[in-house]
Amino acid sequence: MSTEGEFHIVTRHGPDRLIIKLDGELDMVSCALLDEALADMDLDGWCAIVLDLRGVSFLDSTGLKAIFRVRGVVHGRGQKFAVTQGSAQVQRLLSLTGLDQHLDTIDTPDAVLA
Amino acid sequence: MTAADAQVERPPWAIALLVETGAVLSSSLDLATTMRRVAQLTIPALADLCVIDLCNREGAISELAAASTDPERARGLEALRSRFPLDPSGGHPVARVIRSGEAVLMAEMSHELLRSFAQGSEHAGFMLASRYRSAIVAPLTARGRTLGALSTLRFADSEPYDQGELQLVSELARRAALAIDNAQLFSDVQAVEQRLDAVLRNLAEAITVVDDAGRTVFANQAALDLLGLRSSEELARAKPGAIMSRFIVLSEAGEELDLDAMPARRLFRGEPAPPLLVRNIVRATGEERWVVVRASPIVDPGSGRVMYAANVFEDVTQVKRAQLAEAFMAQASRVLASSMDYGETLQRVARLAAGQLADWCSVDVLDERGQLERVAVDHDDPDKLALAQQVDESYRPMLDEAFGVPEVIRTGVARIFNDITTEALASYARDAEHLRLLREMGMRDVIIVPLAAPARTLGAITLVSSHNGRRLTDADLDVAVRLGRRAGTAVESARLYTERSRIARVLQRALLPDSLPQMPGFEIAASYRPAGELNEVGGDFYDVFPRSDGRWMLVIGDVCGKGAEAASVTALARHTLRAVSMLDTPPAVMLESLHRMLRAQEPEGQMCTVCLVLAGRTRKRARLTIALAGHPRPLIVGPGETASAVGEPGTVLGLVDPIAISEVAVELCQGQTLLLYTDGVPEAARARAGSTPAPVPEQLSARAHGLALQGMLRAIETAAVDSADGHPHDDIALLGLRLAEAGGGLESSGR
Repeated sequence: MSTEGEFHIVTRHGPDRLIIKLDGELDMVSCALLDEALADMDLDGWCAIVLDLRGVSFLDSTGLKAIFRVRGVVHGRGQKFAVTQGSAQVQRLLSLTGLDQHLDTIDTPDAVLA
Repeated sequence: MTAADAQVERPPWAIALLVETGAVLSSSLDLATTMRRVAQLTIPALADLCVIDLCNREGAISELAAASTDPERARGLEALRSRFPLDPSGGHPVARVIRSGEAVLMAEMSHELLRSFAQGSEHAGFMLASRYRSAIVAPLTARGRTLGALSTLRFADSEPYDQGELQLVSELARRAALAIDNAQLFSDVQAVEQRLDAVLRNLAEAITVVDDAGRTVFANQAALDLLGLRSSEELARAKPGAIMSRFIVLSEAGEELDLDAMPARRLFRGEPAPPLLVRNIVRATGEERWVVVRASPIVDPGSGRVMYAANVFEDVTQVKRAQLAEAFMAQASRVLASSMDYGETLQRVARLAAGQLADWCSVDVLDERGQLERVAVDHDDPDKLALAQQVDESYRPMLDEAFGVPEVIRTGVARIFNDITTEALASYARDAEHLRLLREMGMRDVIIVPLAAPARTLGAITLVSSHNGRRLTDADLDVAVRLGRRAGTAVESARLYTERSRIARVLQRALLPDSLPQMPGFEIAASYRPAGELNEVGGDFYDVFPRSDGRWMLVIGDVCGKGAEAASVTALARHTLRAVSMLDTPPAVMLESLHRMLRAQEPEGQMCTVCLVLAGRTRKRARLTIALAGHPRPLIVGPGETASAVGEPGTVLGLVDPIAISEVAVELCQGQTLLLYTDGVPEAARARAGSTPAPVPEQLSARAHGLALQGMLRAIETAAVDSADGHPHDDIALLGLRLAEAGGGLESSGR
């Protein structure tokens, strides 16, 4: 579990995908960082964009909205969007809000996409 | 006694000559005169003509002095030497002796010999006409260096020189040489001293030299200026220590310094004397200067004792003031940012200013009715603080006054008053008592600056220095103006913040029902706690209203975000749900309708979680239909300390299409509580995540179940707040429903 205030975004490439790994708490403050980072990213040429949520220790409603903003951008470009499972709290919130039904969730960032 | 003296029996006249020479050489005449008198002493006993030639550092030979039995001869030779200078590399005996450093005796000089070293026919003619017969040329040698030559000549009528006279002339030359060398060294030193003196006098740094008795024996112009002296004569007359008593000398931390701490005193005591930064305040004027004092010892080479100490004073007032001003402003900014309570903040600013800028600081603010209100006053000296407060209470500034605080507030222009006279005080004072108090305050300088917000002047800050402190300068005025601007902005934003918080509270209440309706057969209670004391409009909402079929709709929800945007979505959600409910629409359809409303909103992505409970009373129990949209599942608590979540999770509203909502029917029995809550409850628990296990709502509510409904809600709320160490991140809303006591009234508790 990461401590408050420590939020990191690291991107790496798979053969067909761009993987955006989030670490720390995804809340109102860190969402702004994610939005900024996304605006600066070159998403061209990838079949899929994967948000790796395994390092996300906490997610709130603004964080949910941020994930779905990324999803909206990626789908709007005709690319696939997937996430990996986050912490128990993240998964609880995703299932509580029914949003897990709208996310393609994979075990590892490099797993085969549907 | 030299070796030469020991070897030779000298005639009395020769001994007398050496004694006289010694006396002449030790007299403090200038070099040319001394040498002329030495040359003169040889006449007539030792020579008919005596010439002293000197060579300079470049080797050129020049005549210094000539003396003769015949003054005409002496003058004639001086004239020849200046017209025909001796060639340093030539054959003239003087040149040869200077080169070799060895004395020569020419007992008998032939005409041929004289011609051989003549510097031309005129020179030869002079020597022949003078009937040169015998000569001794001795080097002027001192400290291993040949400075020139001393020549003695005898004419045809005199006895030729012998070896004894050669030694005597050599001895005379040696003594003369030492005197010449000393004189040249002395004049070198003099030249250096004159240059040094000129340099010292013109240096921007103040320099003084003090002796071990504390007397200042030298001070350059800058030092005189620094010490406040008109001339070095005034300095010379001053008694030891008298000059320093004109100053208050403080350490950097503001403590009075003993003079023994000064670097020069340390040097005299043989201690290390690192540079010292001091704050000098001229007692008479209050003028303040920051000075770095460095001292170096002047040591007597013989005894090694420190005879004097040279002090260099570097005036760093400008640099130090700028530094202090920056440090002060940084401190003031921290104080100003520390609280949103501007009364308290200004009091702290006053304390800071009274400690660092002046002796007395007060802050006046125009209140909402345009009246002057003194919100802060502080004095560096606690005794004077009471006096300052007394002046303030008895003689508060009035807005129509021509001078002082009211004037600065009217004009928005800062003012500085230096050296306030008793007459000025008298004309300002309202009565004799006021004047007495003001004089007791010992006001000397006053600065008044506007408390300036971007668009208006909110009040004024007054700084006062008294007679025993340092004076207030234009530099302080600049700092005070900056302080006024910074504090004004802080006060304005604190006021806006307070105002906004007030609006937020009003608005929040408008988004929630004033009171809960009476629900026959049920007992209902609600609680709501916004996060923080002065809060923005929160996103939590709840509502309870009847349907036309006699059943009741319970609503609880949470809009993502805060502020005006969230408030508008909250209003939309609450009113949309009420409107669609009028058609007795099933809860899932109501949520679908709200979702479509939200999706149609600009900007996109207005997200909202809702829990709807449709409650209908039967004879023994109640039937509940639960529909959830991204909201935590409500709890059915009891019987006993048990709690279970009910309902099927559904999709949050407003974010994605399509949403999936399920309706679940459950029963509520006597002794059970239905508890609806917003995620402020688990959210509050998150604050301590990692330290202790988060108390989940189930546990909170199960523990509180024995209480009356309102008490139960309060207990859950308190526990949630406590678990977040008193500062929950999110709002906390709770709605509780029970069946009314059997046979009991239909009482309900409002919020």
